[in-house]
Amino acid sequence: MEKVLTDFVKALRNSNVRVSPAETIDAVTVVNNVGYEDKELLKRTLSIVLPKTPDEKKKFEACFDDFFADEIKQQIPLDTNQLNDVGDIDSDLAKKLLEGSQGDLMLSIADAAEAAEIREIKYFTQRSVFTRRILEKMGVGKLEDELMQLGAAREDELPSELEQELRNQLANLRERVSDYVQQQFLLHGDVSGEQLREQVFKSMNMAQIDRSYLHEVHSLVRKMAKKLANLHSRRKKNYKKGRLDIRKTIRDNWVNQGILFNLSWSYKKVDRPKIYVICDVSGSVGAYARFMLMFLFSLTEVVSKLRAFVFSSNLGEVTNDFKDSQLDEAIEKALQKHGGGSTDYGQALTDFVSLCLDDIDKKTTVVILGDARNNFGPEKANLMKTINERAKQVFWLNPEGKYRWDTGDSVMKTYSAYCTKVFPCGNIDQLERVISTLLKTAI
Amino acid sequence: MTDGPKKIIDDISNGFAEHGYICSEQIATAVYLASQLEKPILIEGPPGVGKTELANTAALYFQKEMIRLQCYEGLDESKALYEWRYGKQLLYTQILKEQMQEVLEGAKGLKESLDRLMKFEDIFFSEDFLETRPLLEALTSKTGAVLLIDEVDKSDEEFEALLLEILSEFQISIPELGVRKAEVKPLVMLTSNNSREIGDALKRRCLHLYIPFPEAKLERQIIQARVPEISDALQIQLVNFVQGIRQLDLKKLPAISETIDWAKTVILLNSEELDAKLAEDTLNVLLKHQQDIEIVKKEIPSLVSLATETSDGKSIN
Repeated sequence: MEKVLTDFVKALRNSNVRVSPAETIDAVTVVNNVGYEDKELLKRTLSIVLPKTPDEKKKFEACFDDFFADEIKQQIPLDTNQLNDVGDIDSDLAKKLLEGSQGDLMLSIADAAEAAEIREIKYFTQRSVFTRRILEKMGVGKLEDELMQLGAAREDELPSELEQELRNQLANLRERVSDYVQQQFLLHGDVSGEQLREQVFKSMNMAQIDRSYLHEVHSLVRKMAKKLANLHSRRKKNYKKGRLDIRKTIRDNWVNQGILFNLSWSYKKVDRPKIYVICDVSGSVGAYARFMLMFLFSLTEVVSKLRAFVFSSNLGEVTNDFKDSQLDEAIEKALQKHGGGSTDYGQALTDFVSLCLDDIDKKTTVVILGDARNNFGPEKANLMKTINERAKQVFWLNPEGKYRWDTGDSVMKTYSAYCTKVFPCGNIDQLERVISTLLKTAI
Repeated sequence: MTDGPKKIIDDISNGFAEHGYICSEQIATAVYLASQLEKPILIEGPPGVGKTELANTAALYFQKEMIRLQCYEGLDESKALYEWRYGKQLLYTQILKEQMQEVLEGAKGLKESLDRLMKFEDIFFSEDFLETRPLLEALTSKTGAVLLIDEVDKSDEEFEALLLEILSEFQISIPELGVRKAEVKPLVMLTSNNSREIGDALKRRCLHLYIPFPEAKLERQIIQARVPEISDALQIQLVNFVQGIRQLDLKKLPAISETIDWAKTVILLNSEELDAKLAEDTLNVLLKHQQDIEIVKKEIPSLVSLATETSDGKSIN
C-alpha cells in the first residue's frame, strides 16, 4: 500500500506541491492510523499532512480526486463457449478481452505503455497520442480489422453476440487505457504546464510576450518580487540585535556603588532604505511599459519604502495609486494619465528634481527604467548629476539590448556617466538578477 | 485501541461543541492527528475565524493547562524561553559575600581558595535563578499543556529557527543546565495570519490546517452556539447577509467573530427582523474600514432582499 502513497506523493510533486521525504513518512504514519477505507477521511487527513499553503491545498484536492478516481466497474464476461463464431477470431487481444481476466489485461496495458515510452509524457496535450500509441501496441488494429470482417460477413442486420461483446470490451479498454495514461501523466508529466510556461516567459523578451498572458506573467513577477524581498529583508534584521552598552551600564550604575545592577542595551538604528523608481511609459517603450509597471507594482507590494514615478514627458507620482488599487486598474490608470506620449527625459528629470530632490539623501537608491530615447530633446544631464550626488546610488535599467544603446536618439552614454551602474534588462531573468543586486546594495 | 479514528474524531467534534466551539470535520481531524502524532499544528486563515479560540477549546477539552506565547517583532529567547534572574543573582552574591569570607577563611593561596569554592555547585546558575518563559514552561509542565504560539508570522526569522529544536524534539538546551526534555509532550498550536511567509523548515515540522471563512451552514451552527438567544429566522438572515458581503471585493472581509458581534448587537437592539435601516445602522460592527462601509452601503438593499428571500424559502421548505 505504501507504493500507492509514494506514487501519489510523486504525482503531487508533479503538480507543484512541495513534499519533503519527512512529510511522506508522516503521511505513511497517518495512513496507517486512519486506513484507506474511508476516502473522505483519507483526503482530509492527507490534506493536513502534505500540502502546506492554501494554494497547495487546492492543487492537492484536484490531484487527489484525479489520482484516486473511482475504478471502472468490472463487467462479467460472456461465456465464450456458447458463441458459435469464436473460431473466426484469432487475434491475441480479442482472446484476452474475451477471457476477461482483469489482472492480465492490466499487465498487458502496462507492458504496452512501457513499449510506448509513457515515461516521456510531458504535456497535457500528449495524452491522446499516448493512448492511441498504447492501443496500437496492444494490437487494436488487428482486432478492428477482424471486427470489420465480422460485420461484413454477417447476413442479417443485427450484429452477432460475439461482435457486440467485442465492441463493448474494446470501448471499455479504450477508457481504461485513457485512465491509465491520465494517471501516468500525473506521475511523469508537467501537470499544470507551469514549469514550461515559466521557463519560456523568463527568458523571453518582455516586449514579445502577448498581452493575454499578462496574468500569468504577473504571478511570476510577483513570485520573484516576493522572493527577493524575503531574501533581503533577512539581512536588514540582523542589525537590530541589542548589545550590552558597557559605558552606559557603568554610568547608570554609579549610584549602586559600581555594582552593575541595571543593564543597558544598545540598539543599532535600523537603516531604512528608500527606493525611488522612475519608469518611462512613453510610446517608444510601449511594449515594455506594462511589464515595467507590473514589476513596479509588485515591488511596491513587498518593499515598504518605495516611491514610484512614471512619465513620458511630464512626470507624476503613482505610489498611492499602486497601493490603493488592483494591478490591472493601477496599470491602466498610470498609462492613461502619463503613458503613450513622446519622451522627454529632460522635462521628466526637471519634474523629478522639483518634486522630491529634497527627500533624496544618502540612504536613497534611485532606479530609472527606460530606453533613454530622448527624441533629440534637451538632455539636462546636469540634473542627473545633482541626483547622483545627493543619492546613495543611481541605477539605470534599459530594456533594450546593449547593441542598440546610443543608436538613433538614444542618449544612454550621456546619462550613464552619472549612474552608479547601468544594466540591460529585456527579460524577466535579467530583471531578477538586476533587482537582486540592487536590493543587496540598497538595503 | 478499540475506537476507530472516525469515532475519536467525532468525539472531538462533539466535545468541542460542548465547549461552544463548532468545528468542521477538517479541524477535528487535524486535532486528532496532532494528538496522535504528537506534532504541532500550524493554523492559518484570515483573522477572526477562530484560530486562537481553537487552542483555548482544545485546552478545555483535553483538560490541560493553556500556555500562550504572543509573538511580536523583536521577540527573543529571553522573552520566550528562559532568562537568568540577573537581579536576584546579584542581590544574593552581595548578601552572601560575608558567607564567602567564612568559607574561604584560613585558606592559603589562590589555589586552595579556588579548590574550596569548587566544592560548591553552580548555585547561582540553578533552577532557583531561572525565570521560565512560556516555551520552557510548556515543556516542563508535569501534566502536559496546550501551548499556543500566537501570530508566529509577526516574529522574526531568528525566532523561527529557535522554535525548530523545540517543536521537533520537544527539548531545549540551556548551556548552564544541559538539555531539558519534555516529560509529557505538549500539544502545540501555532497560528499565523500570513503577514509573512513562514519558513519551509518550520512548515515541514508542522501539520498544516487552513481555516477558511465558514460555509453558511456551519456559520449558522456557530451563531446558534454562541448567541443562543437569537431567533431562527433572524439568525438565518444575518448569516445570509454576511455571506453576501463576503462575495464583495473588500479590504477586510467580516469573519466569524464579527458575525457573532453583530448578532449580539442586533439582539441588544431588540430587532426581530433584518431590514435595510438596521443593517445600515449597525454596519460598523461588521466592517472596520470606512471604504468598505461605503462599498457595502450601496449594496445593502440587494443584500437584504437576498438574505430575507432565501430565509423565507428555507422556512417554507
